[in-house]
Amino acid sequence: MSLKHILISLFSILILPVATLASNLKDSASIGFNTYNDTGEVQVYSPTLSLFKKFSSHWMLGLKMRIDTITAASITNGANGGQVDVVTGASTTQENPFDDIRYAPTAMLTYDDGENTLTFGAYYSTEKDYEGKSVFTNYVKQLNEQNTALGIGFSQSFDKWMPVFDRALPKDNRNETKLDLSINQLISPTFSLQAVYSYMYSEGFLSSPYHYVPQDDIAKFENYPDVRTGHAFAFKGVYLLNNANAMNFSYRYYFDDWDISSHTINVEELHDFSHNFTSGLRLRYYTQTKSNFVKDIGSYTTDDKYFAIDYRMSAFDSYTIGVPFIYKMKGGDKMTASIDYYQTTNNDYIKSWYGVDNLQAVFTTLTYEFDY
Amino acid sequence: MKTIFLSIAFLVLLGGCSEKLVRVMPYEKEYFAQDKMSLSPIAERAEQEGHIFLIREASAGGESSFQGGCGCR
Repeated sequence: MSLKHILISLFSILILPVATLASNLKDSASIGFNTYNDTGEVQVYSPTLSLFKKFSSHWMLGLKMRIDTITAASITNGANGGQVDVVTGASTTQENPFDDIRYAPTAMLTYDDGENTLTFGAYYSTEKDYEGKSVFTNYVKQLNEQNTALGIGFSQSFDKWMPVFDRALPKDNRNETKLDLSINQLISPTFSLQAVYSYMYSEGFLSSPYHYVPQDDIAKFENYPDVRTGHAFAFKGVYLLNNANAMNFSYRYYFDDWDISSHTINVEELHDFSHNFTSGLRLRYYTQTKSNFVKDIGSYTTDDKYFAIDYRMSAFDSYTIGVPFIYKMKGGDKMTASIDYYQTTNNDYIKSWYGVDNLQAVFTTLTYEFDY
Repeated sequence: MKTIFLSIAFLVLLGGCSEKLVRVMPYEKEYFAQDKMSLSPIAERAEQEGHIFLIREASAGGESSFQGGCGCR
């Protein structure tokens, strides 16, 4: 393929053609309620709301709002939460000092002409000790009589730490750049595949401002490298087994320059119990290697440059099992729900910080969707 | 930058070949309208668990959708 052909193809993909096809946009809304509870004493209850409104044949405005009410915020760090004050000297006399509420609105503007879908969005999140600000854009082009869809997405965040006690962070920002490239391909009338590549670059204060090294001879907070570059490759597919059963599967390989790599496998079987009720079973397995700077608990010295006690910097596996529910009502309204159980393998860092052998969590969703 | 350029070039090359990939006619797409044939059959769960796994594990990416940051990480 010549350079000229490549440039022409790039131009044709990136420039929106004159709109001639039917748009897939519609006025819709949803309300929901999500929960998360784990043995690290974190409980989150999250009402959600989304509203999408067309204001022309090809343009739509979307608003989403999520409120997380957190009964043990990031600053408590599980069962050892009170110990943070030993290092920081912070007062614990406030009433409910660790409770937090996170407000996370997202606004989106979408163009869709049936062949091209372009979305611009902005995200804002505020909580007691953290402010998140992001912009994102996503473009999907349908090709080949809508057998193939190419997608490119980009997001840039400008987040800021605001620790609840007086700690001067070496940096108070955390900026993340993410690029997603995807391709969807219909293989047959009953089989479709998707491949996704993600590039991620993080810069700033990348550890928690509250985690500290639990060693008698060291009074140090966690300290990670301030730059991280990661790559993820994912393959997903859905296959119709027969009229009533479909199998959804995915695999992801991730690696970064902290030497963390992981494999994730997810399989879900969905069964139509009636014309309007679908349910099934999902299983997920995750395994990761440790970062190149984490050391065994109790082995850090004051000469070390980096300190990590968060279990996420260590090697561990996790398992998830869940049940989804989809119920379609008259008039096109839809109710969806899910309940999932998550468990990590036993881990010394979890034991040290949370006081339990492993983390176990249950998370649920309940959503009512309708067109208007 | 090199990664971004190569990735875009990959998509362009793939797009150029896509005319040979018409495998399903419009009248054969009825199954893909069903919820169980979606890659994300429950969108709200996909969004919530994407956030949870981002907080509880050290990996990210591969979901082709935006995920905003928070202090839980």
